[in-house]
Amino acid sequence: MSSLVARFAANTFWLGRYLERTENVARILHINETYARDKPEGPDWQRVLDLYSESKQFHKNYKEANAQSVLQFYVLDRDNPSSIVSSVINARENARSVRHLISTEMWTHLNIFYSQMLEMGAGAITLSNLANTASNIILNCQTFEGIIEGTFLRTEPACFYHLGKYIERADQTTRILDIGYGLLPLDEGDAITSIQWNVLLRSVSGYHAYRSRYPGRARVEDIERFLLYDNEFPRALALCVDRITDRVRDLERRHGASRHSEVERTRRELEFALETGPGKEITPERLHGFLDRFQGLLADVTNAVGQTYFGYAPLESKALGNTKQTQ
Amino acid sequence: MQSQQDQPHLAKILKCLDELDISALRRRARDAERELFNLGITFTVYTDRDAIDRILPFDVIPRVLSKEAWATIDSGVKQRVAAMNLFLNDIYHDGHVLRDGIIPAELVKANKHYRPEMEGVDVPRGTYVHICGTDLVRDEKGTFRVLEDNGRCPSGVSYVLENRHLMMRAFPDLADGIPIADVDGYGSRLARAMTEVAPHNMSHPTIVLMSPGVYNSAYFEHVFLAREMGVQLVEGRDLLVENDKVFMRTTSGQQRVDVIYRRIDDEFLDPEVFRPDSALGVNGLFAAYRKGNVNLANAVGTGVADDKAVYAYMPRIIKYYLDEDPILQNVPTNICGEPEGLNKTLDNLDKLVTKPVGESGGYGVVVGPRASKRELSRLRALVKADPDNYISQPMIGLSVSPTLVGRTIEPRHVDLRPFALTGESTWVLPGGLTRVAMKRGSLIVNSSQGGGSKDTWVLV
Repeated sequence: MSSLVARFAANTFWLGRYLERTENVARILHINETYARDKPEGPDWQRVLDLYSESKQFHKNYKEANAQSVLQFYVLDRDNPSSIVSSVINARENARSVRHLISTEMWTHLNIFYSQMLEMGAGAITLSNLANTASNIILNCQTFEGIIEGTFLRTEPACFYHLGKYIERADQTTRILDIGYGLLPLDEGDAITSIQWNVLLRSVSGYHAYRSRYPGRARVEDIERFLLYDNEFPRALALCVDRITDRVRDLERRHGASRHSEVERTRRELEFALETGPGKEITPERLHGFLDRFQGLLADVTNAVGQTYFGYAPLESKALGNTKQTQ
Repeated sequence: MQSQQDQPHLAKILKCLDELDISALRRRARDAERELFNLGITFTVYTDRDAIDRILPFDVIPRVLSKEAWATIDSGVKQRVAAMNLFLNDIYHDGHVLRDGIIPAELVKANKHYRPEMEGVDVPRGTYVHICGTDLVRDEKGTFRVLEDNGRCPSGVSYVLENRHLMMRAFPDLADGIPIADVDGYGSRLARAMTEVAPHNMSHPTIVLMSPGVYNSAYFEHVFLAREMGVQLVEGRDLLVENDKVFMRTTSGQQRVDVIYRRIDDEFLDPEVFRPDSALGVNGLFAAYRKGNVNLANAVGTGVADDKAVYAYMPRIIKYYLDEDPILQNVPTNICGEPEGLNKTLDNLDKLVTKPVGESGGYGVVVGPRASKRELSRLRALVKADPDNYISQPMIGLSVSPTLVGRTIEPRHVDLRPFALTGESTWVLPGGLTRVAMKRGSLIVNSSQGGGSKDTWVLV
């Protein structure tokens, strides 16, 4: 097999991003409903819109942010480019372009997932069915990951796939942290009493992992340290950055350092930003500033990869949800 | 038509089918169709909002061909491909066949698929038609006849291979102990043929398959073949030409391309030479081809050899170049561009099958005995207005094959498209695509007109 056509590098990269995004959106919707019910006024659906800074886009077609409208917007709305159904359609379109480079099992699973999503009706997102629907979507994404692990040749396309996946995952974690610190109470000293902290941890599958790391303790800076720096936790920024680094090194080995310099430069900035962190004393403002910067740096890496390997012109927006990049 | 030695095999297949009740057969058929969906073996119909994936209907009862019947098809197709290649080489060089009056020069030179740009261009090994699909039908006497040659971008071979996989999964018991010719070797044979026609006899050329892209209805097949060959699947936008050499844009920069199996028509190949509005092609590709820096399969300008009007002359063309009688007969054809043929056609419109020569996919075909008076009078006007554009043929009592329809098994008309690959020499895939007209009595088997397909078993 000759070297990889640039367009296919982009396709596998976005395949990774779209599927990672699908899983995260499903997670957040599920958690928001299931674990945030204790508040007297019920789950807050506006916060999901804030998480992705999509309030504006939402209000173009919907009036009130309630369970029905937000779930419709994020699960079934094909006019919303960041809905789950749109992500799955885009993932499949990208996969279709590289159908000859991926395994039959990968393609078959994506097809089944895709037809499930297309057949899904409003009944699937009623409150009584949401948990089931979300678990099923998450399971579909995780199954796909397993199939990749077992069948995808570890050549360049796999490298771009994982690069896309970990960039997206890091981006999702920054959003979850951001919204958590912005909205959750910090005024009760160091002790976390609010169930909402658990919600935050659960939305990244980190509740039990955190408990085992910090038995009997629940402090804001511990949670921060956990989600930023624990490079054994799959959704921590540190682990994502490690994986991004692995893939960048892999590309460097394949293509040589000179071709690769801009990608490496942006990667180093990302690493440096994480080492420096948001500063010693966390305030919501400081953390927000850091997370915002970090999202920008992830976009820089994406741009550099795009320009070096996909033949892209620079991207403008920093979040996948806002760019509508459908390769 | 089946030989003595095939009888036990046929009896065994029949017995096995008999033992399956119709519900079991239907269940297995449903499983097979679901599998086609899951595997994404679909062609896509696009509407404004949706992309609807359809599968080519698949009939689970295989069509069985005897060893003897296949031997005739195999040698007949090889003969035909050899004649087509010699004919194309001749008309684009010295034109002996035209000067000797075997075929009217005008029919060739004024043909819309004739490419004057190809005059004097030498192609590696003199092979123009690397991939050929020959449409055959079986008449009342059981004789295979050629209905049409497809020497441009014949499609459908992926269904031959996938149908076999599907059959072996759904009916492993049916094939058990039956010696069936293997079809799996097609991809590597194709790659080998492409290597044999690489420029400058190079031994390890970079081969790519060029597709119009995901919106093409045959995209699944392009993917399938690229995978089977182990080559990159590219679109025009992935290629560029510099100094009359072709390159593809890769993650490590530009990489030289030597052979292009293109699944895109001549007109769209190169906007500098053919249709200037083509967004699918590559500027400068034809110049690179002319210089021999890249080879294209099939060659440019092969459409003139599979034209429905030129078809009528194929028996004479075979005789002229090979000094052999055709092994596979044509269906007798009236050429409306000739006075005699026109009169015969107009006098017998209600008995003949009339076809526009420039269309493919079964479009515009009028089956006289089945047509209404209004359809016939419309046809008469069309033929009179543009006789060169029409041929007519007698009705052939197309053979039938048992087909699962709803809860019963009924006879349905079938045709057969064997696929021939030519690099240095010609190889015919033992099997071919059996297309079946799913509607009762229908003679039109094209997928665009609701036709389906069957697995084709060649006994060895």
